[in-house]
Amino acid sequence: MATTTVTCDIVSSDLLGGSNASSELSIASDTKLYQHGTTGTGLEQLNYHRAVIPTGTNFDLIQDSAALSDKANYVYIALKNTDETDYVILSIYDKVIGRLYGGDGGGDWAFFPWSDNTTATGGVDDPSGADSSIEIQAYTHDCEIEYMLFHSGETLLTASDS
Amino acid sequence: MATTYATIDITSTDIADNSISVSNRATLTTAGTDTGITETTGLARVKTSSGSNTILLDHGLTSGVAADVTADKSAKVYIRNTNDRGDGTKYVTILIVTREIGRLYGGDWMLIPWSGGSGEDIEYTASDTTETTLEYCVFYE
Repeated sequence: MATTTVTCDIVSSDLLGGSNASSELSIASDTKLYQHGTTGTGLEQLNYHRAVIPTGTNFDLIQDSAALSDKANYVYIALKNTDETDYVILSIYDKVIGRLYGGDGGGDWAFFPWSDNTTATGGVDDPSGADSSIEIQAYTHDCEIEYMLFHSGETLLTASDS
Repeated sequence: MATTYATIDITSTDIADNSISVSNRATLTTAGTDTGITETTGLARVKTSSGSNTILLDHGLTSGVAADVTADKSAKVYIRNTNDRGDGTKYVTILIVTREIGRLYGGDWMLIPWSGGSGEDIEYTASDTTETTLEYCVFYE
């Protein structure tokens, strides 16, 4: 069993109340990535990528798969571009989640659970049809991203010469 | 201009042969600029004991906490299920309109960007009628 801990800290000294120190914003949270239906068995499978997303096309970034469906999976995506006008749009099929922008000191990131609830009827490598694949499209310039998937299992492709 | 930082640390010493440590800090800015975001709903809390689909953040309404969120910008949403994990079978499903994003089990959190430009409300459905508490906060322009 693996133990993976993910912590989040959101802080600002001047978003609330100006110079009033008592109004400082601080949200801190941490969680461990466990398998569904367990009190404390950690997820043991991981994909970790770095990729360049060309502009102009909406891509399947993380493909849906029957083995991932309705499980405890978690996704981390970080945009590495330093130009603040560069951004990517994240979506799940036809529903846009939002935009990650580049930034001088490192761009935006997102971390969220992913249940891959809708699996297309096509093959595992078939991007057609309504599904729950995580999609991404880059705007302004090509976008360099890092992304991780902590998951409960994925459907592997049978080799064509097997 | 306000400065708001969002930092994530992902660590594991045993998910692979070598330890994993990923750390990233984002400065929350308005769309396409280096100007800090200046608006927030503040941290809010909602309780649910319903297994029905419920709107958490209704984009496009003329009232409500999300009324002033400008569409297709750089808004970010933080959500946390504050319940204990329990036996690991109870969770809250977070959706973008009708499409599931994923399941927040007790103690889980998420931080996502939010466009809302085509009426993409953020919704939730508890897995059963156990009382569940969600904390959430929107940073927006």
